[in-house]
Amino acid sequence: MSGHAAPGSDAGPVERALARAANVLPDQGPIGVFVHHNTLHAYQHQPFHDGVQAGARDLGARPYLSLGEFRAAWRSGRIEDRDVWEEIDRALAGRADGWQLRGLERRQLWHTLLVSDCDPEDAAGLAFTVEFGRAPQCADLPLWHAALARVTRGPRPQPIDERTFRRHRDVLVALDGDDSDVPVHAELIRLGSGFLDHGHARVALPSRERGFLPAVSELYANGGPEPRACAGVAADMRALAHESADAVAVIHRALGQLGVHGADVEPFVFATALALPGWSGMFSRLERHPHEHVCDRPPTLAEFIAVRLLLERRAVGQVCSGLHLPIVWPELRRHIPPPPVRPAILDAALLWPIARSAGWSPAAVADLTDADLDTLWRECAACPPLMRRRLFHEAYERTYRRWILDAVAARRALPPDGSTERPRAQFVFCIDEREESIRRSIEEQHPLYLTFGVAGFFGIAMDYRGLYDREAAAYCPVVVTPAHEVHERAVATELNWHDLRLRLRDRWHDWERRAAAASRTLSGGAGLSFLLGPFSAVKTLAQVLAPRRLSALGDQVKSRVAPRPATRLSALRPAGGAAAAVDAGHGAAAAKPVGFSLDEAADRVTSTLRNIGLVRDFAPIVVVLGHGSTSLNNPHESAHDCGACGGRRGGANARLFADMANRPDVREAVRQRGVDIPSDVWFVGALHDTADDGVSYYELEALPASHATCFQEAHAALEAARRENALERSRRFDDARLDERSEEALKHVQSRSTLLAQPRPEYGHCTNAVCIVGRRSVTRGLHLDRRAFLVSYDPTTDPDDSVIERILAAVGPVGAGISLEYYFSSVDNETFGCGTKLPHNVTGLIGVMNGHQSDLRTGLPLQMVEIHEPMRLLLIVEATPAALLRVASRQPEVAELVVNAWVQLVSLDPATGAMQEFVDGRFVPYVPEPTLLPVVDRSPEWHLRSRAHLTPALVRRALPAAAVGHDRQPGHEPAGALGA
Amino acid sequence: MPDLLHLMLALAIIAPLLAVPAIGVRVLLADRFPGEDVAYRLSAAGLLLSTLASVVVFGFFAGAFGEPVRGEIEFGRWLQIHDYEIPLVLLVDRVSVTISLFAVLLTVVVARFSRTYLHKEPGFVRFFVLLAFFATGTQLVALAGALELFFAGWEVLGISSAMFIGFFHERDEPVRSSVRAFGTYRFADAGLLIATVVTFELLGSARFSALGRAGTLPAAESTLIALLFLLSAMGKSAQLPFSGWLPRAMEGPTPSSALFYGAVSIHAGLFLLLRVWPVLEVSPVARAAGVVVGLATAVYAALVVRVHTDAKGALAHATLAQVGLIVVEICLGWITLALVHLVCHALLRLGQYLRAPSLIHDSHRFGHAHHRPSLLERAAPRLAVRAYAASLHRLRLDDRIDQAFSPALTVARAIDRIDRRLRSALSLDGPS
Repeated sequence: MSGHAAPGSDAGPVERALARAANVLPDQGPIGVFVHHNTLHAYQHQPFHDGVQAGARDLGARPYLSLGEFRAAWRSGRIEDRDVWEEIDRALAGRADGWQLRGLERRQLWHTLLVSDCDPEDAAGLAFTVEFGRAPQCADLPLWHAALARVTRGPRPQPIDERTFRRHRDVLVALDGDDSDVPVHAELIRLGSGFLDHGHARVALPSRERGFLPAVSELYANGGPEPRACAGVAADMRALAHESADAVAVIHRALGQLGVHGADVEPFVFATALALPGWSGMFSRLERHPHEHVCDRPPTLAEFIAVRLLLERRAVGQVCSGLHLPIVWPELRRHIPPPPVRPAILDAALLWPIARSAGWSPAAVADLTDADLDTLWRECAACPPLMRRRLFHEAYERTYRRWILDAVAARRALPPDGSTERPRAQFVFCIDEREESIRRSIEEQHPLYLTFGVAGFFGIAMDYRGLYDREAAAYCPVVVTPAHEVHERAVATELNWHDLRLRLRDRWHDWERRAAAASRTLSGGAGLSFLLGPFSAVKTLAQVLAPRRLSALGDQVKSRVAPRPATRLSALRPAGGAAAAVDAGHGAAAAKPVGFSLDEAADRVTSTLRNIGLVRDFAPIVVVLGHGSTSLNNPHESAHDCGACGGRRGGANARLFADMANRPDVREAVRQRGVDIPSDVWFVGALHDTADDGVSYYELEALPASHATCFQEAHAALEAARRENALERSRRFDDARLDERSEEALKHVQSRSTLLAQPRPEYGHCTNAVCIVGRRSVTRGLHLDRRAFLVSYDPTTDPDDSVIERILAAVGPVGAGISLEYYFSSVDNETFGCGTKLPHNVTGLIGVMNGHQSDLRTGLPLQMVEIHEPMRLLLIVEATPAALLRVASRQPEVAELVVNAWVQLVSLDPATGAMQEFVDGRFVPYVPEPTLLPVVDRSPEWHLRSRAHLTPALVRRALPAAAVGHDRQPGHEPAGALGA
Repeated sequence: MPDLLHLMLALAIIAPLLAVPAIGVRVLLADRFPGEDVAYRLSAAGLLLSTLASVVVFGFFAGAFGEPVRGEIEFGRWLQIHDYEIPLVLLVDRVSVTISLFAVLLTVVVARFSRTYLHKEPGFVRFFVLLAFFATGTQLVALAGALELFFAGWEVLGISSAMFIGFFHERDEPVRSSVRAFGTYRFADAGLLIATVVTFELLGSARFSALGRAGTLPAAESTLIALLFLLSAMGKSAQLPFSGWLPRAMEGPTPSSALFYGAVSIHAGLFLLLRVWPVLEVSPVARAAGVVVGLATAVYAALVVRVHTDAKGALAHATLAQVGLIVVEICLGWITLALVHLVCHALLRLGQYLRAPSLIHDSHRFGHAHHRPSLLERAAPRLAVRAYAASLHRLRLDDRIDQAFSPALTVARAIDRIDRRLRSALSLDGPS
């Protein structure tokens, strides 16, 4: 799906640069639908480390956490020292020996370079802290003075010049000139947002349907004033408006005026396109996905760059002439100032920890010969800061990987579950790692409560239109295009009421919209101030002071005064009735059938059940739960919804699945396909709200009387579980009490989701780290701290690997997308993420800016990633290496992720439990260390101890019957009783 | 009970500020910043105390404690040099008690909002310290009985406003915007300062009560004073040609934008006009100028709103349009209408600002509106394009102001360059 495809060989350097930039620029569409993806998707064809380093270089970002963060993790034990050594040995691979300086070996040197603060950048700050006794160097001042004296005598290490000069502006800023990007960006942002506006402004950019370049030149040609810093651009634009040149030609001309020729062109245009990445990216995204734009003619990146260069040329010219510099690029580059001299104190800061770890005395340091010092510097240069971070990153992952794999091995050592008793209830959740805790909590209540995980669209790809939706939207992973529509319709007896309610609702919304728009006009603003000002104040006051009560009251009033009519889904269409079901009004050939045929429904039900291995031993009640998230005042709302449903709420899919699976005719067809669902089994669809931990059920009125008791039991289990879940989530929120009772925790999360002022209604996928594909028996009873995607898969029912292939093809890219988006947004939140939410300003309904005008901010906000540990997804699959290799050979996208190590793959042999890591292109056995996992009776005992990340523990009550016995009543006493 | 009244008036002003030394002492003693809870509780306590005091003062005004209190309340002298005396005097009247109570209540709501909104923000403590300064500034402005005290409050307000705009000072744009707002304030505040001095010279006192004697002055002198007041109000309330800083002020955290540019600070200029109404009243020229400026601003802002694509910028200009209207109302002498308009408008905007991030959600709920072409677009398309360009670029107000000040800026740059060279020559990067 990405456009690695290089443009034709005849394409010029400008086209090549633009095509490359289009790949690299943020690929986030209008923010209304937020889909997680690998931020550096364009680099995925390279091995992970090469890719992130290249991407970070191009975008001016940080590829890994900073050394300071890694060292803090090392000191706290999050990175274990043995893993650091292991990574150093792996990197040195045979080069460990062969160099030695007065007892200091290469391994030891590298270790020192990694773990000691040997690379400060702030010389003045260091001098100050040493002076005032606050620096670590004060621990051995004689050595420090010796080091300082020694390095001052030389030789000095070759400093790394990390400055980049890609465009005129870089040179001008380095020469203390005005930043020409400031006026250029201000102008571009205004023009671009007027052009791309999706309906916030009353008036859009005139003649925007003709494209960006013509519209802008038209604007200036009609007397639009030019910015002072770009004087002359209006005349250029006027000339353009008359000749209607094409964008690439305009770019060429501007390049000529800037003196950029020949081999300079491609890198220059590439850097120019990346200079305002959010806006450039939006132009490029809409160029490639024209249906996401409101205008018929899609914007193009080339036009954006053309306008940019027109402005930039004038701005740069003005600054250059002010500083008496040439504008011609190669000549300007000759004026690049030399890099600042590296102060000796920084070299001393490097020498000091080395001397300490080697045990050199001050005298020994003073005795170092010039040759000694020279080789030492050269050895240090072999492990530069970027390399140190890379090694640290690997160690960071390795430590965590060992913890998880050892825990899985320890769990496997427990006696297997031989129970043949019929399960009491089964719960099917999304694979989402946020559901790990609620599943565990259900399982703690009874050994015969079973849970499953499957991608949250439950195998049903559809365009769904809810009762009040204006149009259908795709409820399935973004890579799938649904072939069916499903509508929610009011039941016949409530049609009149539905009509009335719909009309009232539309009128109300219309009124609200008009009021919002009118309040911005002159007369409307005045009138509404008098009319609504006081009411608005009361409402704001209530929303700030008592959000939860106000929202509950609102819901209550609404359901009393205007209850939602009962509805049904148009799940199945009459046999052969595809054409009849299509509305005559739409009539087009592209119209999709509404509802599934019997066979299609049976196929979907069968394949989903097979995927999760639920093909026998059905409980009398099976609850299928989609998930979504409710929050207020949150432009990133959609990022919390179900990724498998294309950034929407998965309730409709769960409901539809249950609806289909309950139909006798579908069941019969499913039976013919080999899955026998007994007639005494009932499916219930439900929606779990991951923000307020509410669970709502669908079509309970259809529940057979015979199942009332079973359902009540399942319902009670979920009621208890959602409270426990709220409690477990609350421990992560610093503003919730750690010793809360579950009832209060539920209230706490409810008020989070109803509070206008809340920038973190939930932590979303934050902290996600692992994905385990396999039977629940692999993980049941393990406390995985809401960090594991859990995908149900039964290798014993999949002889030909077709199921695992299906699962990995879907879960691999989705899980990797989520994990990598979180990875990048947390290693460099300002560049890859969108920074703190607090000054965000929604613009044009397509994205957010910082404050009054800035680049469009893409990626995740700080408040969503602040407790994340950036690691590649650890994908543990219960399948043999041979099976995994077969799957990879058939699924190139999965293979790319695995081979280039954008995920860490581990094979877990279904029969023996042997584990093999996929490292450097092949499977290597992993020998788990015998570990004694901490054992607790119930999860809160483990997680209520701290707010930090947790290592795995065993939860006794969640273990299957074989381990704990099953002669107990379902349910459990409230968590508050734990203290005893 | 004059004693209780004095105490309450003083508390209304000072109480919010008490949190600042309390936090400062903790920083000094513990050598680190206090936790969020401490900082919030201290400043909330100050604000609540101030609210309570404002309520009691309102009670005095309304006659809840015996005879209704009206007029000046003396607190002694601030400064005396020979015959010149600067009094510490507060004023209790309809306008002052309303605005005082109103402003502090809004501040309390915003403080509660910010407690959650700014959780885990590194500048949390700074935010609440600034909020305390702001609250004291508004109370001082609202209750001052003489121009000198009023000016002090006015400056505190201005500085806290500039600091809030530059709240995220690690990025360039907020700092640039903050400097622009600060520069505009400095320029416009000179009007207030000069007016204060002139009033003192001509009327012998800068008490508001003395302004009633403005009618006895020659027309030229009263007009000069009135115009100076108007200038100052225009700067603070972002009237043309000073409107450029307002949209750029949206750089701070959402709740501070709501409080300053939706609710309180933006209306401070109007409050000044209400306060010095006796001077305006006798100066038809200044009132005419005010009507022109207010109308022009209202029309300008209403046009800019139409093209604005971002939530906060559009709200800023929508607010500005109403503020322009209120200026017109005041200058036409419709004082009560203006006061009610001001309060209702501030209440409406506060909520709208706080809900600004909901824009996407709302547009999903409401669906897209289809705008029909306006009359202008149909009748005169070329003119419509011009109007669009002018609105989009906001008449290039900032550029024009920069141009007017460019000689001063050139000098400033030269000094800056010398300063930098000096610094790099003198700075010791350690031995090298």
